[in-house]
Amino acid sequence: MAFTPPTAGGRLLSRPLALLASLAIAGGICFAPMSPASATPEASDTSKVIKVATNATIDTFNPFISIYATPTGINRMVYENLVQYSAEDSSDTEGLAEKWETSSDGKTWTFHLRPGMKWSDGEPITAKDPKWTYEQMMNNEVMGSANGSLVSNFDTVETPDDTTLVITMKEPQASNPGVEIPVVPEHVWSKLDDPGKHENNKDVVGSGPYTLKSYKPSQSVELTANPNFWRGAPKVDGIQYIYYKNTDAQVQALRAGEVDIVSKLTPAQFKALEGQDGITTNSGKGRRFTGLGLNSGAESKDGKPMGDGHPVLKDVAVRTAIRQAIDTETMMAKVLDGHGTLATSFIPAVFPKWHLDDTSVLKGYDPEAANKMLDEAGYKRGDDGIRLDKQGKPIKLRLLGTSDEPDEQQMADFIGPWLKEVGIDTAVEMTDGDTVSVDSTMGNYDMYFTAWGVGADPDFQLGINTCDSRPDEKGEGATSMDNWCDPEFDKLYNQQHAELDPEKRSQLVKEAQKVHYAATPSIDFWYKDSLEAYRSDRFTNLTKQPIEGGVITEQSGYWSFYGATPVDETKTAADADSGMSVGLWIGVGIAVAAGIVGAVIFARSRKTADERE
Amino acid sequence: MTTQRTEAPGSPAPGSPRSAAKPPHSARSVANARRRQRLVEVWTEFRKSPSGLFGLIFLIIVILLAILAPVIADRSLLDVTQIDNAANEPPSMQNPLGTDPSGRSVLVMLLWGSRVSLMVGVAATAMSMVIGTVVGMAAGHFGGLGGALLMRVVDFFLVLPSLVLAIVLSSVLQRGVWTIVIAIGITSWAGTARVVRSQTLTIESRSYIERSLALGAGHRHIIGRHVLPAVMPLVMANTTLTVGAAIIAESTLSFLGLGDTTQTSWGSMLKLSMDSGAATGGYWWFVLPPGLAIVVVVLAFTLVGRAFESVINPTLRGR
Amino acid sequence: MSSAPGAQDVAATETDRTDDVRQGTSFWRYAGRKAGGALVSLAMVVVLGFFAFRILPGDPVLTLTRGKRVDAEQVAALRREFGLDESLWNQFLIYLRNLSHGDLGDSYTFRRPVADLIYDHLGPTLLLTGVSAVLAIALGLWVGQKAAWRRESFFDRASTGTALVLWSVPTFWLGLLLLLIFGGTLQILPTAGMVTTGLDATGIDYVVDVARHLVLPVITMVAVTYAQYVLVMRASLIEEMTSDYLVTARAKGLREDLVRRRHAIPNALLPTVTLVFMHIGGLISGAVTVETVFSWPGLGYLTFQALTGPDLPLLQGTFVVFSFIVIVMNFIADLLYRVLDPRVRAA
Repeated sequence: MAFTPPTAGGRLLSRPLALLASLAIAGGICFAPMSPASATPEASDTSKVIKVATNATIDTFNPFISIYATPTGINRMVYENLVQYSAEDSSDTEGLAEKWETSSDGKTWTFHLRPGMKWSDGEPITAKDPKWTYEQMMNNEVMGSANGSLVSNFDTVETPDDTTLVITMKEPQASNPGVEIPVVPEHVWSKLDDPGKHENNKDVVGSGPYTLKSYKPSQSVELTANPNFWRGAPKVDGIQYIYYKNTDAQVQALRAGEVDIVSKLTPAQFKALEGQDGITTNSGKGRRFTGLGLNSGAESKDGKPMGDGHPVLKDVAVRTAIRQAIDTETMMAKVLDGHGTLATSFIPAVFPKWHLDDTSVLKGYDPEAANKMLDEAGYKRGDDGIRLDKQGKPIKLRLLGTSDEPDEQQMADFIGPWLKEVGIDTAVEMTDGDTVSVDSTMGNYDMYFTAWGVGADPDFQLGINTCDSRPDEKGEGATSMDNWCDPEFDKLYNQQHAELDPEKRSQLVKEAQKVHYAATPSIDFWYKDSLEAYRSDRFTNLTKQPIEGGVITEQSGYWSFYGATPVDETKTAADADSGMSVGLWIGVGIAVAAGIVGAVIFARSRKTADERE
Repeated sequence: MTTQRTEAPGSPAPGSPRSAAKPPHSARSVANARRRQRLVEVWTEFRKSPSGLFGLIFLIIVILLAILAPVIADRSLLDVTQIDNAANEPPSMQNPLGTDPSGRSVLVMLLWGSRVSLMVGVAATAMSMVIGTVVGMAAGHFGGLGGALLMRVVDFFLVLPSLVLAIVLSSVLQRGVWTIVIAIGITSWAGTARVVRSQTLTIESRSYIERSLALGAGHRHIIGRHVLPAVMPLVMANTTLTVGAAIIAESTLSFLGLGDTTQTSWGSMLKLSMDSGAATGGYWWFVLPPGLAIVVVVLAFTLVGRAFESVINPTLRGR
Repeated sequence: MSSAPGAQDVAATETDRTDDVRQGTSFWRYAGRKAGGALVSLAMVVVLGFFAFRILPGDPVLTLTRGKRVDAEQVAALRREFGLDESLWNQFLIYLRNLSHGDLGDSYTFRRPVADLIYDHLGPTLLLTGVSAVLAIALGLWVGQKAAWRRESFFDRASTGTALVLWSVPTFWLGLLLLLIFGGTLQILPTAGMVTTGLDATGIDYVVDVARHLVLPVITMVAVTYAQYVLVMRASLIEEMTSDYLVTARAKGLREDLVRRRHAIPNALLPTVTLVFMHIGGLISGAVTVETVFSWPGLGYLTFQALTGPDLPLLQGTFVVFSFIVIVMNFIADLLYRVLDPRVRAA
């Protein structure tokens, strides 16, 4: 091949291209030195705004429609409820209403609103606002799509005067009807053509500690303090939720001071942030349980069998044996690094009033007892150690999990071998959340990982365990927690539903959980802690819920962000520890070196090729 | 070289038609001899490219390790209930690459993960190769409307953003390693089909094919005896490059949450390291090795593919 | 899943396009045929976009309401709202009718028209992929021609080697490492987003702010994509340099740099240009992972969010829009090739 070596002239020619390419590289590098001088977040002095890292889905800020956790949580800060959940123990406390009473038959609830309250735009808050809000939800299907079930027992809503609201129930109700429903300003919403389509994401008029200022999809949500809030204006100017899809990026941003609060940390990230200057970590007791649903023989509401659950699971001995074969304590230590509370039943320990605390009924990890129980129930082991069902076929149970939830794969890694110890084979299937939710509703499962965030009032969570909560054959209708039905449980549920005496109700709720525990239609593992961290060098007084050992983010209330107080501004944010450990640096060094060596080997080997040619 | 192990005889040099009239036995031995000779030629040429040779030796070692994984490290080392290492342990004598969040040895996972990653890479490539070759030859051989329609389909798959299509496929199909294989296979064959088509056109324009046709050879004979053997080396070289792309694709799909987390692969290891926050925790031994393993194996496949490509297509040599 | 950087690609593409170019005599006939092809591809995307997602198992309403306090009426209302109570065939007709006036349906998760969501996220993606493409092409072509000109030199081997190593790196992994080093440890660059929230900068400050956020995602995308341009440019320039007319040109006494600038490079650029457009699809695929790692508020990020829903109308919408962009880009490539081809120009 004819080929001329480059000359000095040749060098000149490539100049335009060279210039372009070097611009490209330089462009990348020269932004970097600029940064300290120019637009870093610290420099622009927004220190009185709390910056929260989030990767949550936001469907809409319309409180009638929104069903995702984060917009619902933001609306808790924008719209005060009639009755709020307290920071102390999530019990009912005053919101728009300063006091309320219940008629002795539990059918009439009368609320007295605090006089003189104002919306963020200065208009007065009256009893007409909750009346309008509730009636929209009662009469308009679309407006009831998020919280319609909370007003389904409402018969009429009356306002004898501007500060009194009377709700008449169809059936007696022990739980307070004033909680959870965001009350919107009638003078704004009644003027909308189609309130069901209202996006409500800009300059919102609210009654809570903050109001929504702006929303940029996939980028940020900005809230600003509401000076008219009845408890007094918050001490910070506002809150910014900033999108970080990648949790590692969130942690780095906290270290760099780009954000002030991160949540949903993994144990590894939590550990890495512990003890760092200017950062406080919080392992808050959560109100969510994690467990294993067992198909105890799913049936539709009218008693027709549904799905393809393994028949052996209809035997309570098998279900109990599965419970005793799983070493929940070890699993929690490994999967959560201990950041959780071992569960008894499905009402978390943060609600001591309702939580099942009678340890005498609990059955712990005991594979020998499990084996004995299965032997006695007549499931003999085959040649390979796997037990045979009544038809003589080896027992193999499917275990369904969501691949987006890394915990679930980790749990499956433990449960499979443990069940094999007691002679039960498993097949793990990790799929998307959509498939899991449909299969679990239709009874197309043997075992699946289940989790619910439980509200401060246990009525809903108990209610989805009643026979009536089971869906119809198409999987439609009500929601059932475990596709399980027990008349004894139903009786206890109905009793507590109308029991106005808190002590007696508490006993009934615990009894109902004991029935569920003994029947074992699901096994509850733990209540996972919320792992959070915040810049304590910039904000203090983030009130937890519950105050002792509770959470900062995802509260059922506004306590942490309302309580937040900026730290003296003259004190500059302490430089956080450099983000990566020495080890990671060494590792990156190795990686870079390997790349270079690879390139050189390639280069060199080509050279030898020439020499041979 | 194992890549020439096809049932078809070695690629006929232009202008050396095989006479159909010769007794089968002797034709076969001639063909065998020619095939051996061609293999030797290819090997001699290939050896001249040390980067290709380096890649090949490296790949052979990796493949041997993957095959011997059960012998080297027992599967029970991956059973989380039977090991008692702490989670995220740094490298030590016992666990040279530390442990993962469940306490499994990262080195053992890397070893077992290579089986799944390589399997996905090779199986997806095989699938893409078969589809690409069949469609490409058909489009080249049968002109007219059928060929034009086929080319339209090829163009369609060529321009579709393949990752987006793979995302669609792997969310539609049931989760699992084979879904990933299918998703990658279906989205990566179009390039091969194009190459095969132009090669088919080139081959079929040669005079010995016309002679064959004149002697009454059917489509099957032309394609099976002449076209396929001639395009095969090209396809092999082209698809060696695809293996690397498929291994990267597996890790990308895992990263997007579409992988099979029940199987340990390099992609699912990276996913777990990301989900568990290993990077911010400073657990570099769980962040870097799976990524580096992907980089070096993909690079090795690329080097071998390029070397092989220039061997079978001398006009590319030195490119 | 862009195919490996192989010179074969170019060879095949070139043969193929050359066929096309030679067959059609009139430019308009040629353009018409290509436009027809593009339209057929678009139709296939539209149909595939609908039916592929409908085979998905699962019920979006059940997913949305999982773990929520909803009753039967609420579920039924949602189902009606999403049009899921219609038959599949009716849904398809509605989809086609809506599509004909640019309506891609409503997102399940965001309760907004998909078209609006895509419109919101399109700009950032075009900015990111555009800047990355320009830089990757500039860098790739420059390195490629230099490597070809100094073939077998240390520069050639080192640059080709580096390009191949970077090409072998999983995009998201490289992005994560860069994020940790520059955003985390050195803290000189932001780790997420396109603008600093609450900064509300305008003018030059805004540009600088966006530019700083661009650096890491762009470096990641350029690093993993520029290799293909290096290899193609290098290969086609080497081929050009051995062709007869260059020998003649040199014999005429033309200076070496002129030979290169006037003859070799322009001709070598031809196959490269078409390749550039063909690889737009690869760039867009890269956008999905890069945007996810760096929380870049673009279409790729939106796709990822739709995927975790899963949000069928949104996935369907992003798929259709992505494919539309790529098909149009390819059509442009076909036309450009025809316009640039010297054999046609000379005629």
